[in-house]
Amino acid sequence: MNKSQGAALPASPPRWGLGGIAPRSRFTELSLLVWVGALAVLGFVAVVGAETSSFGSASIVVPAIFIVLVLSLHVFLIARRFRGDQVLMPIAAGFTAIGLVLVQRLASDLLLQQLSWTIIAGGAFAATILIPRDLTALARFKWTWAFLGVLLLVAPLFPIIGREINGARIWVKVGPGSIEPWEAVKLLLVIFFAAYLEEYREVLSRSQRRIGPFPIPPIPYLVPIVAMWGIAMLVMIFEKDIGATALFFGIFLAMLFLATGEGFYAVLGLALLLVGGFVAYQLFGHVQVRVDTWLRPFDEDLRFGSGYQLVQGLYALANGGLFGAGLGNGMPDRIPVVWSDFVFDAFAEETGFAGALALLTLYLLFLYRGMVIALRAPTTFLQLLAAGLSFIIALQTLVIVGGNARLIPLTGITLPFVAYGGSSLVTNWMLVALLLRVSEVSNRMRGGP
Amino acid sequence: MEITFAVLLWGVRIAFLVVLYLFVIRSFGALQRALGSEMAVAARPLGIAFLVVQRSVRGAPRVGDRLPLRAVNAIGRDAGNDLVINDEAASARHALVEFADGEWWVEDAGSTNGTLVNGETVRSRERLQYGDELGIGRVALRLEQ
Repeated sequence: MNKSQGAALPASPPRWGLGGIAPRSRFTELSLLVWVGALAVLGFVAVVGAETSSFGSASIVVPAIFIVLVLSLHVFLIARRFRGDQVLMPIAAGFTAIGLVLVQRLASDLLLQQLSWTIIAGGAFAATILIPRDLTALARFKWTWAFLGVLLLVAPLFPIIGREINGARIWVKVGPGSIEPWEAVKLLLVIFFAAYLEEYREVLSRSQRRIGPFPIPPIPYLVPIVAMWGIAMLVMIFEKDIGATALFFGIFLAMLFLATGEGFYAVLGLALLLVGGFVAYQLFGHVQVRVDTWLRPFDEDLRFGSGYQLVQGLYALANGGLFGAGLGNGMPDRIPVVWSDFVFDAFAEETGFAGALALLTLYLLFLYRGMVIALRAPTTFLQLLAAGLSFIIALQTLVIVGGNARLIPLTGITLPFVAYGGSSLVTNWMLVALLLRVSEVSNRMRGGP
Repeated sequence: MEITFAVLLWGVRIAFLVVLYLFVIRSFGALQRALGSEMAVAARPLGIAFLVVQRSVRGAPRVGDRLPLRAVNAIGRDAGNDLVINDEAASARHALVEFADGEWWVEDAGSTNGTLVNGETVRSRERLQYGDELGIGRVALRLEQ
């Protein structure tokens, strides 16, 4: 029986292995960041050039600030003698650079705000590298995270602090602005799921009773699963946020499947989600609108109504063609709220299929790296944590790109790192820091680069 | 003048796409290299512990051999294992010995005859102390520092 999972991992490099080798150059990271810097500069020069019909030096200011920020994060990691992965941070920086270019292109009055959020995100990344000192300690406070997560999830429903924007009640007022607590909730819940499943996966996967091929798990351990389903449905009903519901439940099912190896749970969960979705479609107007818009956006009554955004997005994709209209040369501004909901279509219009493919490949590399980190992680908790975190990014990308391309109904999920939005950027950078830290623990325990 | 600017602008746009692709390719390359070096590290003995052969059949492994342990070690009759036991009482993939949380653990990998620690059958995953004797088929191995 493995009961020592709560035990502290070595905080300093142990005597064996490669612990003796001093200051770690992160050359791979630096060489990749050079390309990220070039990407930011070229993107801004192209977009600002197209807007002002000249190459002014003003277009270099924002990418320069961005490059300084990213390089200081790199130096910070070297100064900490950090041994974790060197590829994820540059990939995340690449997404963020593309995001800044697109904000300049699509909503330049929001650029300053997005740049400030990027700097805050960099700070959050550095803080997550430092705190907590022992990553496994996170598992010990799992019920705290669960409670905090549920509290944040229902916070927008409260009358004074909650806020409804564009039909979804998922915002909380903080000072002059508002934040989306959902973004922080996804991190908290992955930490909770990882800790919970580490503790109970044996009971959940080695069930004695079976009906046919279906395992019947002991009822007490089923409670959290059904509770999760209930909360997901609650979110959908009261906050009118289908995207968050799908994401929230998808992460949970994926982690349950990873932990137990029982495909049955995934099937059961999907069935519950489908039933819940069907009932919601019958009962709630906003769900019906989403599905109808998805099925027939070109119909007379929808084309200039609820389907307008999607239809314009599809035109943008078509206008992009193979190599795109050129950065700053397309017409993505015709899509309403393009900077937050439809950045993928905007990018695909201006850089074409080629650019969209490269962007999606980068997301795939992010997922690939995250899964390798998960496989290498020394404890079940860290494995599930890394897998769950990478899965968040993958599922979010899938849900929003699928929605933009009319493969699935459109939802308000953001394209990770790229779409305009502060809460999302900050939490995603914290997510990257957590993945880096899991990989560092593996490198310390097993020896490695 | 206007034409020159337009041409330059297109140059920048094309350069953006080219750099984007170079970045994707470089990232992939860096990823593969990292994976390669991580796998090489995983295959290297840690140098902190050995399984010393106490009892054996057919001289494979030989009694007295000190087998260096890696972070994760598959033990069994199959040639694909890290430690190969040439005994038909051992299963193809018999057991796993791994180093995690600063300690050694043994896990039965679904063997037919079971894995023993100091004569007792391993149920799922059990901690190993230095000096413990691991029984796999008719072969006995002792964990030593």
